Amino acid sequence: MGNMEKIGLALNFGVPLLILIVAYFVGNFIEKKHFRQIIRREKALHGFPVTTFQALPPDWQVGRAEMVTGSVVVSLDYFKRIIAGLRGLVGGRIKTYEPLLERARREAILRMIERAKKGGYDAVINVRLETSRLANARGNGHGIAGVEMLAFGTAITLNQR
Amino acid sequence: MRFIPRSPEEGINVSKEHPLVEAGTLIVGVGLIFAVIAVALIFLVEIALYFVPAEKEAALFEDWLPNDIVAVSEDDERSQAVDALLKRLSQHYPNSPYSFRIAIDDSEFMNAMALPGGLIVLTAGLLDAVKSENELAFIIGHELGHFKNRDHMRALGRGVVLGILFVAISGSGAGSNYGASIADLALRGFSRSQEASADEFGLGIVHKEFNHVADSWRFFERIDEGEGELLDLMTYLSTHPSPDDRVDALIMLAGENGWSITGELTPVSW
Amino acid sequence: MDLGSNQSITLSNIETIPGKTIVEFYGVVTGNTVRAKHIGRDIMAGLKNVVGGELKGYTELLQDSRREATERMVEQAKSMGANAVVNVRFATSSIAQGAAELFAYGTAVRVE
Repeated sequence: MGNMEKIGLALNFGVPLLILIVAYFVGNFIEKKHFRQIIRREKALHGFPVTTFQALPPDWQVGRAEMVTGSVVVSLDYFKRIIAGLRGLVGGRIKTYEPLLERARREAILRMIERAKKGGYDAVINVRLETSRLANARGNGHGIAGVEMLAFGTAITLNQR
Repeated sequence: MRFIPRSPEEGINVSKEHPLVEAGTLIVGVGLIFAVIAVALIFLVEIALYFVPAEKEAALFEDWLPNDIVAVSEDDERSQAVDALLKRLSQHYPNSPYSFRIAIDDSEFMNAMALPGGLIVLTAGLLDAVKSENELAFIIGHELGHFKNRDHMRALGRGVVLGILFVAISGSGAGSNYGASIADLALRGFSRSQEASADEFGLGIVHKEFNHVADSWRFFERIDEGEGELLDLMTYLSTHPSPDDRVDALIMLAGENGWSITGELTPVSW
Repeated sequence: MDLGSNQSITLSNIETIPGKTIVEFYGVVTGNTVRAKHIGRDIMAGLKNVVGGELKGYTELLQDSRREATERMVEQAKSMGANAVVNVRFATSSIAQGAAELFAYGTAVRVE
């Protein structure tokens, strides 16, 4: 194999591999940090009632009510994208995406609760969750730039609990 | 109905497997699958070739000329000269099913191609770049070697099948590029060995004609030193071995066969 | 596919379990999975787009994903000491080319 060919080969496989490795480590670090932060905030909000239904305990008396939302857009790193692309050929669970969606969901719910708390509410009922994917602006809309998670519900104040 | 705040266990919605393990198995797995597909393709093409023997091919493509070639007229002095050279050289390869002919493409790029039916296409740019008949004789001999091995048909067959494969998987995003690169690598290995075999045949033909092999590879040495359009070079290098490797192999070949690398050169007549 | 009950956990997509009363409620539980289809299903789907009909491969894929997401949701509920999940909802979205995320969510409660 000539020298020029060796260089060509190294560039063709080596550069993507390098970017992949960097993306993995940086992405992993960011993810762990985010999870720690999420867990901390969830602990702080531990006693706050959140339900997906409308029924309330009979001794609760509702004062004000307002719809509250929390949303977040999480982006995919290069490593996750490549793994998803390979999975698209052989099929199966994309395990690297799961922590991403978990983070997005919990973050969205947290933001909704924090918003409710800031407004002086005591509980959020009838919570709904929605996901959407955001397509890349470039490249004809192929590929995704990030995932948006939306959580919305009705925040209520309780006169007596 | 009482409210009792409780949290679910951590980690139920994520997989316990480390992401690098998933990445590793996927990368290796997909790479292997594509390498296997590439090799299977090669065998498929061989089987197809068996059903279209050289004689049939020669008959089918007897007077064929590709559409995208601007052919130089038969009365041009270059056409006459290369036809004469081809005649001399093909006398040393008498039992071929093909009746060889040369067409000159009026393009300024350097290229030499072996096409179905025994047609050799040389570009005007190539003819301008060769400095002696000996250099041109080796190039023509190399193409004759391709015909002997029916390499040109192989390349055609593989190109078609790879094209179909690529269209089929191109919808899957990033993964398919990696797979295509792996398949490409596997096929390059095969085409390189074809080139080496054609080189050996070509050198033999040159020796039979001139009784020496002086300057047969001087053309490639000039390429190595950087002559020629760059775009040209890149496409050329992707399928042929690099010039310095090639020259080394040719020198060794001459040595093994005891062929003299010095001798009188015949200049080109244009 | 039986999603009505999963061992000791009862599921319903209305506010209550019919015939029982909710005595305690704990919070929101979720389960999600992300699955990609393989190239074979892709090619079959492409062909079916020409002639029409059920895309059996995709149907199976999404059924499997739904079952898995529900199981995870139930696991979360069990870990909270609940014996039922009410007001269950599903959401599907396309996450990447050829990959779909499916999640199930509801409120974990104790009924008697």
